Amino acid sequence: MAWQIIRCLPKPRLYINAALQQAYVMGIASLPLVLFMAFLCGAVTSQQTGAQFTGGLPLWVVGSVLAASVITELGPILTGIVMTARIGAAIAAELASMKVTEQIDALYAMGRDPVTFLVVPRVAAGLLVFPPLIVMADAMGLAAGWFVGLLAVDGLTSADVIYGMRYYFRPWSLVFSVIKGGLFGLTITFFACFVGLDGKGGAEGVGKATTQAVVLITLALMTLDVLLVPLLKAF
Amino acid sequence: MIEYRNLHKSFGALQVLNGVDLVVAEGETLALLGPSGSGKSVLLKHAIGLLEPDEGDVIVDGISIATASARELRKVRRMLGYVFQNSALFDSLSVAENLLLAQCDESDTRTVRNLRDDAVELLGKVNLDAAVLTKYPAELSGGMRKRVGVARAIASRPRYLLWDEPTTGLDPVNADNIDQLIFDLGRDLGVTSIVVTHDLDTAFDVGDRIALLYDGRIRAIAPPAEIMQSTDEVVQKFVRRTKIMESAIA
Repeated sequence: MAWQIIRCLPKPRLYINAALQQAYVMGIASLPLVLFMAFLCGAVTSQQTGAQFTGGLPLWVVGSVLAASVITELGPILTGIVMTARIGAAIAAELASMKVTEQIDALYAMGRDPVTFLVVPRVAAGLLVFPPLIVMADAMGLAAGWFVGLLAVDGLTSADVIYGMRYYFRPWSLVFSVIKGGLFGLTITFFACFVGLDGKGGAEGVGKATTQAVVLITLALMTLDVLLVPLLKAF
Repeated sequence: MIEYRNLHKSFGALQVLNGVDLVVAEGETLALLGPSGSGKSVLLKHAIGLLEPDEGDVIVDGISIATASARELRKVRRMLGYVFQNSALFDSLSVAENLLLAQCDESDTRTVRNLRDDAVELLGKVNLDAAVLTKYPAELSGGMRKRVGVARAIASRPRYLLWDEPTTGLDPVNADNIDQLIFDLGRDLGVTSIVVTHDLDTAFDVGDRIALLYDGRIRAIAPPAEIMQSTDEVVQKFVRRTKIMESAIA
């Protein structure tokens, strides 16, 4: 399936309309949830950092921890996990349902390739949508951390937050976050499609496929997260 | 022509097809009967390459399905139309979009609007109104979904049609309409059809020949009149209901 996707991706004419529809569902429709999770992520990061470091380290460290952790780690991985539950599960359930009701067979019977018709638009949408989604999540996480930090951490000022963020911020961190976004988007959509298309056994089978997809994708994201650390260190 | 050669297929320990030999001539309509679970649908699916045989082959228009390349298989599938037992309509697409998928191939950029007239004509053949075009499968009754499935199968004007219980779930009027459609396609357009059915009326109305799949093999195959006169006890069990009805009417 991977090879079929790679062969098809350079031919956008075959999938662009379907990909844009999928991108809307993945991106625009998911944005409120992603931003809300990012808000919570930033809020808890600044509060916990402030609570742990107050009296021990200068408070501008809150800004540094916020910038470093939200941009390179928490923003991408929490967005990835939220999208696994929302998009990964939905794709796996949809494709498994199509499999058990012979809709995939119907595509083959019409001389159509299910990978071109169903998988490539979703993978292309994932590659397109996840990076900007993660950038927006990062921005919301930083803003939320800043705002909640000012309210919840005694003595923290905006100057502290800005100083801390600028002290630890590297442009490469943002690039790294975007690369993670693309790879997470690819992982979520690919594995969701892969497991979904293998669905069998009626309603129970659809449920199993959905669960398997979510578990597999979550493990894959965490593994990828670990494997990408050297890339962050490289620049 | 569709030719099944010594076809064997099992699912785990269950041997479903055990050496099926069957030839369906060009332009012929073959009605395929058999007990539930005897492998009729399995037999149909082999012709379109949805299942791979354990042994044997299916030859469609001279192309061996078992050894066909992806391109050859796509070519065969574009020649074949398949009416699925449970319609297999695409849930996320409207009726018009379902028909469009069958009418066009991947390189075709025509839209639902371009092909609306053709779609309306197709729906007319299965006794459905144009208003159905904008509906989604979940909004249709089972019988309507079945008829849209038939319309989709014939949309690409295939040379071969594989019908998996096309009249199951339909009222008598619409069942007759589908029987007439199968008959007309064969007579007027020379379409070759294999019709899997439990409906003896359909089998006897549309079949140039009737075949009985039993115990993994073709037990009997003959024109309807000869099947009715068969002394084979298994064949007798299948046609007995028709005989009872005929004698009741007489």
